[in-house]
Amino acid sequence: MPDGSGHMQPYLDQALEGSGSFAGAGTDWVDALRRDGAHAYGLHGLPKRRDEYWRYTNLNALADEQFRLSDGAPAIGLPSLPHKLVAELATYRVVVVNGRLRPDLCALGELPDDVLVSGLEDMLTAAPARLEPYLGKIIRLNDMPMAALNTAFLNDGMVMFVGDGIVLDKPVHLISITAPGADAMMVQPRHLVVMGKDTTATLIETHITTEGGSSFNNIVSELHLDEGANLNHFVFQEESKTTVHLSGTAVAMAAKTTYDSFVLQSGAAIGRSEIRAYMNGPGSDCRLDGVYLATDKQVVDNTTFVEHAAPECRSRQVYKGVLDGQSRGVFQGKVHVMRDAQKTDGHQLSRALLLSPRAEIDARPELEIYADDVKCSHGATAGELDEDLMFYLLSRGIPREQARRMLIEAFLSEAIAEIPLEQVAEDFTTHVRQWLVDNVDAHAGQDAT
Amino acid sequence: MALLEIRNLHATVDDKPIINGLDLTIGGGEVHAIMGPNGSGKSTLSYVLSGRAGYEVTEGEVLFDGKNLLEMEADERAREGVFLAFQYPVEIPGVTGITFLRTAVNAVRQHHGEAPFDAMDFVKFVREKAAGLNVSDDMLKRAVNTGFSGGEKKRMEILQMAALDPKLAILDETDSGLDIDALKVVADGVNAMRTKERGLLVITHYQRLLDYIVPDHVHVLAKGRIVKSGGKELALELEESGYAEFLEDAA
Ligand SMILES: Nc1ncnc2c1ncn2[C@@H]1O[C@H](COP(=O)(O)OP(=O)(O)OP(=O)(O)O)[C@@H](O)[C@H]1O
Ligand SMILES: [Mg+2]
Repeated sequence: MPDGSGHMQPYLDQALEGSGSFAGAGTDWVDALRRDGAHAYGLHGLPKRRDEYWRYTNLNALADEQFRLSDGAPAIGLPSLPHKLVAELATYRVVVVNGRLRPDLCALGELPDDVLVSGLEDMLTAAPARLEPYLGKIIRLNDMPMAALNTAFLNDGMVMFVGDGIVLDKPVHLISITAPGADAMMVQPRHLVVMGKDTTATLIETHITTEGGSSFNNIVSELHLDEGANLNHFVFQEESKTTVHLSGTAVAMAAKTTYDSFVLQSGAAIGRSEIRAYMNGPGSDCRLDGVYLATDKQVVDNTTFVEHAAPECRSRQVYKGVLDGQSRGVFQGKVHVMRDAQKTDGHQLSRALLLSPRAEIDARPELEIYADDVKCSHGATAGELDEDLMFYLLSRGIPREQARRMLIEAFLSEAIAEIPLEQVAEDFTTHVRQWLVDNVDAHAGQDAT
Repeated sequence: MALLEIRNLHATVDDKPIINGLDLTIGGGEVHAIMGPNGSGKSTLSYVLSGRAGYEVTEGEVLFDGKNLLEMEADERAREGVFLAFQYPVEIPGVTGITFLRTAVNAVRQHHGEAPFDAMDFVKFVREKAAGLNVSDDMLKRAVNTGFSGGEKKRMEILQMAALDPKLAILDETDSGLDIDALKVVADGVNAMRTKERGLLVITHYQRLLDYIVPDHVHVLAKGRIVKSGGKELALELEESGYAEFLEDAA
């Protein structure tokens, strides 16, 4: 509903109504944090085209349809997971259904002593003091209106603390399930990861939707990396095509840290992964990579912001995607190099393959540099399958549909080859292959001119 | 029945006539060489025969093993047994040589009702063929032609031909860019494939290749037509006289 200034702020009333019953209500700083979120979202409203980071992804669907906040996690069991090798991988399993931790589905036995994996709701109730130095400290509410909305709904999600010096023996697998009922449903999960000094961990996320009505999943994750911390982060976004999936991740990187992120998006009606990395200490390394696959009328958005605030840091971004049907891809990436961030090495690249004349990509890689001794580059390409390569494969007897699949897979494989965890890389590849069989073969003949 | 029969072929690229009434018959077991000045349409002929998009046949017909070749898609022609060794083989990053070869060979095998190779059997099969052509395991593991030298690319083309076992092989300037040793390796590879059934169409600018792969017939292509045909001695004559006379004739 529009207010006096003409902008819309749907869901604010739901957040305000609920605030008395959310976890940690009555704890001053928690109440204040939620209020700040509500305030920032109220001022800004739903993102509009003129917002720098929302130029190409339209959220009017969120104003048109009234999504109701899910009232807890339904008693569903663990659905079978789409990725075989990752499913079989020995992991610490955390399951969140509709934004609520489901302890009965988690498998956290044998976690090392100094590692805590828990639900945010439990922590807000039982030990809010432990959260206070971290929760809400990285997200800049004024830059991320949807994260501000999430903050207004702050209640549950996953919390993970990795104590100093720990190298976690197994990855943590966060399985995030959106389980709508018959009506339009909204969830607002909030995750927090705190990596102590000289730690190493891997976090895998799988996002899926069970059958039901439409849904809106608005996730925020805050990742704190203390000196010498290393976090590998792999995300599979495979929500249903009746879901709006918005994910906002903010990473604070102290000195000598590495953050290595790889996001595969092939699900959702609108799927957006926004990652903001703040490189606050020298000698750190940030990799943001992604692959996306879209068809029909899907919108898939990868938005990144890397702030080089300290010298001698390196950031690399490679996003590659395949767009079919009338789908739209968005890549917006900014590398912001501040005055003191000398010897910054920052690169970003967006490459899109357009398989149909009605598919579109908006790519806007950007460098903003205030230091003078830096090495930065950016680039974006978009195009169709190379006809010369196609003919080479055909001339060897490879049928056209198979040749198309081989070339598309080859295009993506360079990016997937960068994934350091073999099972994840293989599952990504398998997933890409299956997607190509399911989506591309169906109308492969149409472009055989 | 001849293996390949081209009758009065006319073809255009971007509406520009390039092949202008070409007749050529190749019988099983024969080696034909085509020579001719730059731009005379040699590569165009090879693309028309292998079915590349954008090469439009405006007149004439081509029978391959008695079948209408021009009605088939490029991939179908290849499975039926037409092979083109490219003048400029492309690089395919992200697809390993061995996967590429196996996919191609299995597509052809399945077309002929044969069981596809599994990965292990295929490695054995291809290693045997590769050994004679000095194609190393490393080259097969790398992405197709990616970062290969000119000579390596040409050897890879011949390996593909050996693996696919075509009825008709068109070699478009397979000798260009090869040093003398590599030329011998490639020529030996090609000669090893000379059989009573297989036809070869060798496009070249140089007599040198024809010393190794001795042709039964030599044709001169100029302005999209065959303007002279003869035996292997014609190649030697051309080496002496050049193409000037044909260019004037055809004009
Ligand atoms: N895509 C195209 N568009 C326009 N003209 C083309 C195209 N491809 C080829 N041609 C023209 O067709 C003619 C024949 O080219 P082709 O490559 O067949 O010659 P060639 O005999 O193989 O020459 P070379 O000995 O240099 O390899 C040339 O004049 C060339 O410019
Ligand atoms: Mg040529």
